[in-house]
Amino acid sequence: MTQAIVLKKGKTERFLDKVRHLIPKGENLNLCLTCGACASGCPATGLENMDPRKFLRMVMLGMDQEITKHPWVWMCSMCTRCTHVCPMEINIAGLVYEARKLWPREERPKGILGSCDMALRNESGSAMGTPPEDFTFVVEDVVAEVRESQPGWENLEAPLEKQGAHFFLSQNSREPVTEPDELVPLWKILHLAGADWTYSNQAWGGENYCMFLADDENWKKIASNTLNRAEELGCKVYLNTECGHSTFSVWQGNRKFGLKSPLEIAPMVAYYYEWIKAGKLKVSSDWNKDLKIKFTVQDPCNQIRKSFGDEQADKMRYVVKACVGEENFVEMFPNKSNNYCCGGGGGYLQSGYTEARFKYGKIKFDQIMTTGADYCLTPCHNCHAQIHELAKHFGGKYHVTHLWTIIALSLGVLAENEREYLGDDLKEVWLPGEPGTPDPFGER
Amino acid sequence: MKTQPTGAVLVAGGGIAGIQAALDLANSGYKVFMVEQKAAIGGVMAMLDKTFPTNDCAMCIMSPKLVEVGRHPNIDILTMTDIEAIEGVQGDFKVSVRRRPRYVDLGKCIACGLCAEKCPKKVTDTYNQGLIKRKAAYVLYPQAVPLKYVIDEEACIYLQKGKCGACAKVCPAGAIRLDEKETRQTLQVGAVILAPGYKAFDPTGLNHLAYGLHPDVMTSLEFERVLSASGPYGGHLMRPSDRREPHRIAWLQCVGSRDQNRCANFYCSAVCCMYAIKQAIIAKEHSEHPLECTIFYMDMRTHGKGFEDCYNEARHKHGVRFLRTRVHTVVPDQESGLLSLRYLSEQGHVQVEDFDMVILSVGLETPPDLRGWAANLGVELSPGGFARIDDFKPTATSREGIYVCGAFAGPKDIPQSVIEAGSAALCAGADLSAGRHTLTVRAEVPPERDVRGEPPRVGVFVCHCGINIGGVVDVPAVRDFARSLPNVAYVADNMYSCSQDTQNIISSKIREENLNRIVVAACSPKTHEPLFQETLAVAGINKYLLEFVNIRNQDSWVHMNQPELATAKAKDLVRMAVAKVLRLSPLREELLNISQAAMVVGGGVSGMAAALALARQGYPAVIVEREGTLGGQARHLFKTAKGDPIAARLAGLIAEVEADARIRVYLNAKLTKVEGFVGNFKSTVAANGVETVIEHGVAVIASGGQEAQPTEYLFGRDERVITGLELDRRLKAGDPGLAKTRTAVFIQCVGSREPERPYCSRICCTHSVLAALHLKELNPEMEVFVLYRDIRTYGEREGLYRRAREKGVVFIRYDCEQKPQVKATSEALEITIMDHVLRRPLLIPADLLTLASAIVPHRDEQLAQFFKVPMNADGFFVEAHVKLNPCAFATDGVFLCGLAHYPKPIDESIAQAQAAASAATVLLSQQTIRTSGTTAQADVRMCSGCGVCVSLCPYNAPSLKTDGPQAGKAEINPALCKGCGLCVASCRSGALQLQGFNDAQIMAMIEAA
Repeated sequence: MTQAIVLKKGKTERFLDKVRHLIPKGENLNLCLTCGACASGCPATGLENMDPRKFLRMVMLGMDQEITKHPWVWMCSMCTRCTHVCPMEINIAGLVYEARKLWPREERPKGILGSCDMALRNESGSAMGTPPEDFTFVVEDVVAEVRESQPGWENLEAPLEKQGAHFFLSQNSREPVTEPDELVPLWKILHLAGADWTYSNQAWGGENYCMFLADDENWKKIASNTLNRAEELGCKVYLNTECGHSTFSVWQGNRKFGLKSPLEIAPMVAYYYEWIKAGKLKVSSDWNKDLKIKFTVQDPCNQIRKSFGDEQADKMRYVVKACVGEENFVEMFPNKSNNYCCGGGGGYLQSGYTEARFKYGKIKFDQIMTTGADYCLTPCHNCHAQIHELAKHFGGKYHVTHLWTIIALSLGVLAENEREYLGDDLKEVWLPGEPGTPDPFGER
Repeated sequence: MKTQPTGAVLVAGGGIAGIQAALDLANSGYKVFMVEQKAAIGGVMAMLDKTFPTNDCAMCIMSPKLVEVGRHPNIDILTMTDIEAIEGVQGDFKVSVRRRPRYVDLGKCIACGLCAEKCPKKVTDTYNQGLIKRKAAYVLYPQAVPLKYVIDEEACIYLQKGKCGACAKVCPAGAIRLDEKETRQTLQVGAVILAPGYKAFDPTGLNHLAYGLHPDVMTSLEFERVLSASGPYGGHLMRPSDRREPHRIAWLQCVGSRDQNRCANFYCSAVCCMYAIKQAIIAKEHSEHPLECTIFYMDMRTHGKGFEDCYNEARHKHGVRFLRTRVHTVVPDQESGLLSLRYLSEQGHVQVEDFDMVILSVGLETPPDLRGWAANLGVELSPGGFARIDDFKPTATSREGIYVCGAFAGPKDIPQSVIEAGSAALCAGADLSAGRHTLTVRAEVPPERDVRGEPPRVGVFVCHCGINIGGVVDVPAVRDFARSLPNVAYVADNMYSCSQDTQNIISSKIREENLNRIVVAACSPKTHEPLFQETLAVAGINKYLLEFVNIRNQDSWVHMNQPELATAKAKDLVRMAVAKVLRLSPLREELLNISQAAMVVGGGVSGMAAALALARQGYPAVIVEREGTLGGQARHLFKTAKGDPIAARLAGLIAEVEADARIRVYLNAKLTKVEGFVGNFKSTVAANGVETVIEHGVAVIASGGQEAQPTEYLFGRDERVITGLELDRRLKAGDPGLAKTRTAVFIQCVGSREPERPYCSRICCTHSVLAALHLKELNPEMEVFVLYRDIRTYGEREGLYRRAREKGVVFIRYDCEQKPQVKATSEALEITIMDHVLRRPLLIPADLLTLASAIVPHRDEQLAQFFKVPMNADGFFVEAHVKLNPCAFATDGVFLCGLAHYPKPIDESIAQAQAAASAATVLLSQQTIRTSGTTAQADVRMCSGCGVCVSLCPYNAPSLKTDGPQAGKAEINPALCKGCGLCVASCRSGALQLQGFNDAQIMAMIEAA
């Protein structure tokens, strides 16, 4: 493109000046040194012939017309890896968030829009629109089935509306709606840890597509609904299920909108760590001593870089190593707070920009392939889905699972029907009750 | 305050800045206490391999100064000492110091090294940046001053556990004192100079740079040790991980600088661009195979004298690759062990490349403990954590009587540190001038032994120079060979002959062995001959009985791949030197009085500052100004970088000059004649039709510079196009038109960094950024664009660049090959530039275009001739030594400051003026001066009086006698003679001989060759 950019003389009203005060650290937006560090570290560089530096430059030069309704704003996952090393700490993601608003709401990507609107349909706050009574039914149904069919689990609980419970647990809709068996490992873990927890059938939905839609009003509504519900039940900790964006939407929503929730907003993995460290969860990696199956982890941007930092990343590694064995853990580089986004975040999976999403995810795919790992573990639904799809698209042989699956396996409590995401190599390892599998109830 | 100030100064810090300040003061009549926290002085410069832009060996140029400090009778070095408090006032300070135990008796240690050899405890060697281990009993570095061992308290087994004591058992001198305790002491001084230096930024913990994660990612200071001949790898270029030679090295600039995210250092560290270039060139030279060097940078800041040339050479001659982009992350490849860098090309495309090594160009910072220390002393700090100073008092801290120099006053290079050292020394000395010579002792030079008539007894000392010589030449073989030569009575080889202890050994051997001729086979006589001459004098023999052989620069360095031939050549050189030294005879030096007055050429800020500085030291000064008023270029300037209005400060300076009875000012004046030499100049000043002859002992050249008149961008053809100086005039005058400007554009590097004028004018970036801010203040709605090539707001000036961006000034980069286009229409100046990010042309309609035009010197050829001082191709005067003598000329008694030296802002001009005055004070305070003994001598019996020598000599040393029986015959004024030999070579009668290089001596060498 060699078309000249013609500026006007003197000051003109521009997008940047309108949104600067809305963006955290917005005062830094002018400070760009045009060094290019952002673009060199961004997987979205080159998509639509755009990159973070160019985008900011266009904004700075007041090229509002060209950036309005630019598709790139949906190809940036707002992972903030650019800001992570930017010498001027420029919040590109914040700028992209505001630029998404330059699209009329109804013209924003249908998938994201639909998921946001769906969550507003009923009390559940579920992006799949699942009504409260359906959620109650599924939970009660699944827990009853486990009590009946799995020896030792006659007392398993999945409490709903339990007043005064310590933890309020959010739930991503994917499990109750499409794969209810995936609910169970986490319940078992909570049970063995002796956690006092509850679900609610109101505002349980652990998704917030309104955040991706750049719909402030409804992001706030969903976040405050779920925090309020937890408060009403007298809980102390708002425990996010293994889901990156949901954790971030509540954590950041609380800050951004000044919700002033008295609750501790915590990611699930931090408690896995506490419980394993305290000996409440007696995980063992013995099952992998001879198998030597290799594992790597994907650090979700929303839970690590954007919120809880390297401390959280280290806790996740502690948990994973305890389960699979130190020697079977392989790091990918770069990692932790400097990790590459997989391309599942920011609403990418629902945005319809599939081709761009795969191009974006190629770096992550290569990173995982370099580790040679058989499994990539991640405590995030979007990472899970994207990394899974990357394997299919680019022909990778690795598997992707949540942490709960591998923790439950290492506790000897992962039932046969809870192994959907495990490969054949692990379909039969340490099945409960089989010889060699530890008995979690044996010592009690 | 006491009636007479205490004639002593405390210098806190023994790096190059502290050393220079201490020497200036001690050599001008003040007692100096040099307080150093480490076990030896030398600072960071002692760790460096080479120095930019000349690639001089750092230790080689520094060691003479180290030794001079070490043996100066008026400098007390207090090592391992911390300053706890400074009480009192200017002229009368009491400084409380804590002296930590060294556990070695300084008086007894003979530096034999047995303690270290036997010490069983290995610890990290901090001098070598932790790349290797040393013992708990150690010496900081081989040339350390004082060269005394020290026991590392933290590591010593005895001091930690009460057992061992191996060092005490083996020490032949009984110097180990393991029961030594810390002591406290109070020092009485009249002034204090803070020169504590800086700490290199520690990139540990930055998760994107892989530092600490991969051994081949190292800091620039660590790499300096890798390159150094005295470093852990003996100067052999290899990467730490597998000790293999790297093929590709990357430097990442601005690590710990210009970053408010991953560190808190907003400022530019000012030296990293140049040291990275230097390291890249040196690394290429050290590499046995073609080495690819790539420097990743944001703005290349080569704003110092000779720096831009060095940058251009690095690119075009050495093939160093420069990539303007910042690398996000260094990724160690798990399989190959290589370091993968992903970066954005200038075209905006992502590239991935692997490197064998990554060097992090770490910035300079004031560590937190130093900040706290300064606060305790009542010294205020700047936003960047450096001592806060005033642009017109560039080395005065916020506490009266306490001065500052070096990197603690802001990140800077060695020349600038040395200049500030001079400035601080001058200011401290000026405060105390009533106490000069009250606390000092005279150096005792023993009476000279008359060796005439003695049979020759030659001593030959061969130097290893670490591995510089010893790594190539078989030094013991050369030593043994020397023993076989006739009249050689004593031979020895030394690891570092220039170190203080070796100097002491040489002088005692001269006495013990009754030597009367000395040959030193070592490095360059240019840097080291005076040091060894001094050693001969200390030993009581005439200092000209020395023959200095350069077996390093002329042998080991140039024949490094042929060690056997190099050894043979060293033997030849030594044989020739011995042949010559036998024929040397003692030479006399003339003692001349120094006229106690100064002349300053130029009445701008620099000239006035120099004159005032000299006057405050008690020396009358004359200012010769070509124009009708004082003030020079500063008259047109609006504000300094710190926001000081210049007009008011300048008026104050002029008033001070005019009020000082010791300063005489000649306006509309011109030098018409300069006669004489150091200490005894006689200059004629013509002013307003009157000629006056002025006698002065020293001269300071401050002849200034000016803004070049642009020839491009419609300058002179459209009145909307002005220069930076014109904009300042308008700002100063409060021109109401400026605020009405809707869009203003600046174009940088107009006439600078061009093939025809290759240097960088240093001040224009700061000036334009500052002016842009002024415009924004006048009218915040104004759109301001700065079109630049590299923004060079070095040091804390980076804060201005940051503020300009914050206020919305847009910076657009252009290449010299694709300059902005300016078209005039009646509505606007239409300026077209290719946006460096979008790679699309950008059309800016502007009301005002300011050209940042180059700073050019006055190019006063006559002045250069008058004082016999050189000028470079650009017309700037050439100082004696770029690094360590930046404000004096090679011509004795003539000093240099201000724009005549190189473009610089007011604060730096004043610092240099004061440093020039300080150097001049050193000379003036001696009251007498000795000429060199190596001068030409005329034999009147053979002289035909042809006068060829008179016409040829560049220094006016020969003349034909005008009266007496030998009228018409040549005579040489030894005070003017530089010993160059030009007259000797041209004399057709053979009447002229250069003493120390006479025909017989030279022929003897040739015969021995």
